[in-house]
Amino acid sequence: MIVQAKGLTKRFGEGLAQIVAVDDVSLTIETGELVIVMGDSGCGKTTLVSLLGCILTPDNGQLTLDGQVIDYAGQDLSQVRRQKIGFVFQLFNLIPYLSALENVIIAMQIGGFSRFEAEKRAKDLLTQVGLARRLDHRPAQLSGGEKQRVSFARALSNNPKIIFADEPTANLDSRQSDNLMNLVRQLRQEQQTTIVIVTHYQALQKDADRVIYMQDGKILTD
Amino acid sequence: MTHIFLKDMVYRRTRVVMTTIGIVVLITLILLLGGIMNGMRIQVQQYIRSTEANLWISAEGSGGAFTGFSLLVPEYLVFINHTKGVKRNSVSPLIFAHARPVINGKATKSIIVGYKQGKLGGPTQTIPNQGRMFTPSQYDDYRPEDQPPAEVVIDEKMRTPSGRKIPIGGKIYIGGKELNVVGRTKSLMFVLDTPLLFMDLRTAQEVLLKNSLHVNMMIAKTEPDYSAEALVEELDRNGMIEAKTLDQTLTSIIENYVDEPMKAVQFLRVMLWLAAGIIVTMITYVTTLEKTREIGTLKAIGASDYYIVMLILKQVILMSSAGVTLGVFLAFLAANLAPIFVKIDLLETSVVAIISFVVCCSGGYLASRKVLDVDPMIAFRGEL
Ligand SMILES: Nc1ncnc2c1ncn2[C@@H]1O[C@H](COP(=O)(O)OP(=O)(O)OP(=O)(O)O)[C@@H](O)[C@H]1O
Ligand SMILES: [Mg+2]
Repeated sequence: MIVQAKGLTKRFGEGLAQIVAVDDVSLTIETGELVIVMGDSGCGKTTLVSLLGCILTPDNGQLTLDGQVIDYAGQDLSQVRRQKIGFVFQLFNLIPYLSALENVIIAMQIGGFSRFEAEKRAKDLLTQVGLARRLDHRPAQLSGGEKQRVSFARALSNNPKIIFADEPTANLDSRQSDNLMNLVRQLRQEQQTTIVIVTHYQALQKDADRVIYMQDGKILTD
Repeated sequence: MTHIFLKDMVYRRTRVVMTTIGIVVLITLILLLGGIMNGMRIQVQQYIRSTEANLWISAEGSGGAFTGFSLLVPEYLVFINHTKGVKRNSVSPLIFAHARPVINGKATKSIIVGYKQGKLGGPTQTIPNQGRMFTPSQYDDYRPEDQPPAEVVIDEKMRTPSGRKIPIGGKIYIGGKELNVVGRTKSLMFVLDTPLLFMDLRTAQEVLLKNSLHVNMMIAKTEPDYSAEALVEELDRNGMIEAKTLDQTLTSIIENYVDEPMKAVQFLRVMLWLAAGIIVTMITYVTTLEKTREIGTLKAIGASDYYIVMLILKQVILMSSAGVTLGVFLAFLAANLAPIFVKIDLLETSVVAIISFVVCCSGGYLASRKVLDVDPMIAFRGEL
């Protein structure tokens, strides 16, 4: 069991305008699982993933990550993120002035790798995601699919316990989406990575261990 | 290759270059203004030191030989000369006065030094083969009928209205009286490159004081075993004269000619520092705002606030050091090309460099604190 959430609640705004983006959600995710999160726009998927990924602090509830109860008041959440979590974003969020290789290396330097180790591992990872010949390309010189592969390499680089991907294919065409999802399958097989993906991509559902449907901040079916 | 802060600087190079230029210009100005004041301080002391006198005597209540208006009658000469501890016959009556001699129909700035040849107060650096000394007055003491030749020795920096050197044999006019230039000196200047103009004491009395017997001051040396401080006290007790040591004279002249009038400039220098700090603060702030998404992403993937603040600080430090270094370099270059005497002090340069560096870095640090406000959630959102 890598993630255990109990009664996680996140509200935004105040008074009448208050929105309960995630409403008393409890769930567990086992090591090696591929979990897909689905639901209508605005139902709270991104908020849930941010809570589980220790980017947001919940208003209520408890989160246990890798056997450790998160102490929101006393703990440096950035440390939890760099040690245990990888993120893939809808808009890639690569650093524009760094090459593909450097984008991975910077994440590893943040994660505490030495420069030498980081460079070696970053090359391996980019080769693994099929970008061996794009190492020195800047994000602006890469296609959307290639950028998202760099993102996956970056997310994997610090050996996270779990990867959260928020709509990684939303800005890709269908062929690039297919390719990216093949990569996800391949990573699953090769490394048994635990992955939580928010996606509307249908074809991945048959590979998933679980599909979670959300509505109005709650988990509808699991 | 993974110095992210350097890559970022190359990526945003226009901004980096402009910020650095801003710092360079301000540092150069701060140093130049300091150099101008320092140059003034040096020049204001130059003549006084060159006389090698250590007793400076002016009229009681005048406020000092150079800083107030002092007229002395020659009778004190005997009294001072006979004060124990004053070097025998070293007392030299002197006229030291701002004047505007007319050259080729145009007035120019200068300071008249009227003294007795052979006594203290004359030029120390005459240029060889550039004329001769003026012909001295006929008598050692004052006689109304004594008419010394109208001859002067000028500093080579004294120029005609068109900027040319005044030739030996040239003529200048003071108080409507014609004076012949018979010799030239080198680098004998008062504050702000004001050239000195040497003439016989009697000539000076003639052109400036309608041949009256007054002088502005008397200067003298002490005997080797006597302290100037003690002698000054003793001379002062006379009640009709005001005596000062060399140090006292220098202090009051520096205060009167440099420190007091330059207060506004000192204030301006502090303002320039403030401007340098504000430039760095503002640009860093704006850049940080612009990089919100990038910063949010770095935070989301686990970078600590410290890591990101350091990233920005490294850039600030690099820009500040480059700006300060180039500023110092440019200031020294400009000091050499400046039309007036500018002397940038090395110690002051290091102090200015350190303060400027600290000011710029503090500004950058203040602005970089904005990083703490960036929400890593931004990484999940679309364009701002
Ligand atoms: N910072 C915020 N301030 C106020 N409301 C917010 C904030 N973030 C999210 N919300 C609201 O919380 C709800 C859930 O948002 P969330 O982004 O989690 O939805 P989502 O399921 O990811 O939607 P989408 O599929 O469009 O990405 C939405 O109604 C949204 O407007
Ligand atoms: Mg979303």
